[in-house]
Amino acid sequence: MQIYQIVLIALFVYLGSIGSIVGNTIGWYTLGRPLVAAFVVGLIMGDFQTAVMIGIALQIMYMGNVTPGGAVAWDLSYATYIGTAGALVFGRGLDTAQVIGLAVVFAGIGGLVGQIMWNISYALNLPLNRIAQKYAEAGETKKMFIPNLVLGQLIGFACRFIPAVIVLTSMTAASAQGDFASLIPGWVTTALGVFGGMMASLGMGIIISFLFKKKYHIVIFLAGFILVTYFNLSTMAVAVLAIIIAILYYVSITSLEAKRGEVQ
Amino acid sequence: MLGLAFGQSMAPVIDELYDTKEEKSEALKRHITLFNTEAQVGSICNGIVCGLEEANANGNCTPDLISSVKVALIGPTSAIGDSLWVATFIPILLTICLSISQASLATGWLGPVLYMLVYPIGTFMLSWYLFKLGYKSGIEGMQTFMSTGKLNYLTDTMTVLGLIVVGALTASFVTLKLPIQIVRDVYDAAAGQVLENQVIFDADKVVNSIFPNILPLLLTLAVYYLYSKKKWSPLKLMGLIFVFACVLTFIGYATGVYV
Repeated sequence: MQIYQIVLIALFVYLGSIGSIVGNTIGWYTLGRPLVAAFVVGLIMGDFQTAVMIGIALQIMYMGNVTPGGAVAWDLSYATYIGTAGALVFGRGLDTAQVIGLAVVFAGIGGLVGQIMWNISYALNLPLNRIAQKYAEAGETKKMFIPNLVLGQLIGFACRFIPAVIVLTSMTAASAQGDFASLIPGWVTTALGVFGGMMASLGMGIIISFLFKKKYHIVIFLAGFILVTYFNLSTMAVAVLAIIIAILYYVSITSLEAKRGEVQ
Repeated sequence: MLGLAFGQSMAPVIDELYDTKEEKSEALKRHITLFNTEAQVGSICNGIVCGLEEANANGNCTPDLISSVKVALIGPTSAIGDSLWVATFIPILLTICLSISQASLATGWLGPVLYMLVYPIGTFMLSWYLFKLGYKSGIEGMQTFMSTGKLNYLTDTMTVLGLIVVGALTASFVTLKLPIQIVRDVYDAAAGQVLENQVIFDADKVVNSIFPNILPLLLTLAVYYLYSKKKWSPLKLMGLIFVFACVLTFIGYATGVYV
């Protein structure tokens, strides 16, 4: 990777993390989503087709990664930017399944670094409350942005940008040693492919645990499943069908409720 | 947590409403205490508190009431925000964008770009609407918003939509092969010769002829079971999948599926 690519990707690692300067809506929930993150990395590294393919796989795997009650299960921003960049750097000469497996492994490494940094930044944020308390005592409404925005962002930036630069630089250095595909034995890449394909079940399994609210919901899930396996529909076709079914469902339950109201 | 951010967001309002330094200080201190919510749907809290602070400045409300309302808002707003917006809307929007990207690699950029437009714009509109709702109709406004059955119907509908799409995604993205086969030399009586290395038994084919993609389905349901019923962490699940993948690769090499 070129230096400007490393700097740009590291910058996006920071922007896509929780509580970056662009806010959670644009940051964590948009730039931090694997699909978008991979696309951004693809643009920076000039290979967005492979990147989007990786992005789809990582997005499926991390689909269940939402943040209920502020508990961060996994630092997505780190995981996906590093994972995609790593797979693009080392994945030359490997087939799709193996590149995805590689991305999963690098995302794991990135996520681990992210997790450590997340804890460090939390610890560093603690003194900020005291500074804010001081300004509040003095009634300084104009200075309230200093502890929250300036200092908070500096800590967030340092904890994300610097480690990301280090990780990406060492990846670049390692890739200069030779072609990854020819260096590692075949069984490793095979295992990577198997692992990558199975990891998709993680995201799907977690997301259905949010969606299964009633016992019969598993049947609706199976309906979507067999539309692909038995009827050979594409996921896009199923999505369109699902929207139609959802609208009909909404109309029928609301009109049922209206009828019930009339009877009473 | 969001204590500091809430304080900062209230600073301009407090500056506007109160005149003396003491009053400003009191008000600011109220708003940098512990606070947490889902920050996007939580804009309704800012709206409600703005309204209350205004009432307080005019002498119609007490600081204690403001603080207790704020604490009371934490639970319901984060519950709605997390379950409806974060855990339902985001995955559904993502799955639709994923499907668009997957349809053709040449137009793969369409999915992420669509998400980058729809999600922030939609969220800003929602946040702004909820902020105004909170400011105008206060705590009663939120109660009516939550108690009309509409919200429940909307969640139910989103769930149905989500389940179908997630089912389809599971079928097309989770891959799991049973790499067991038996290879023998077979004597072909019709041709009168020995055919070498014929696959006479392929476990994966047999399993899939019963129910296509049953193994990925079972794996996904197993993950669901371990995560939601046995409370396994995602990291632990990842480790289990990794071990499984290694074992399957080994079996595959041993029976000659992978070469």
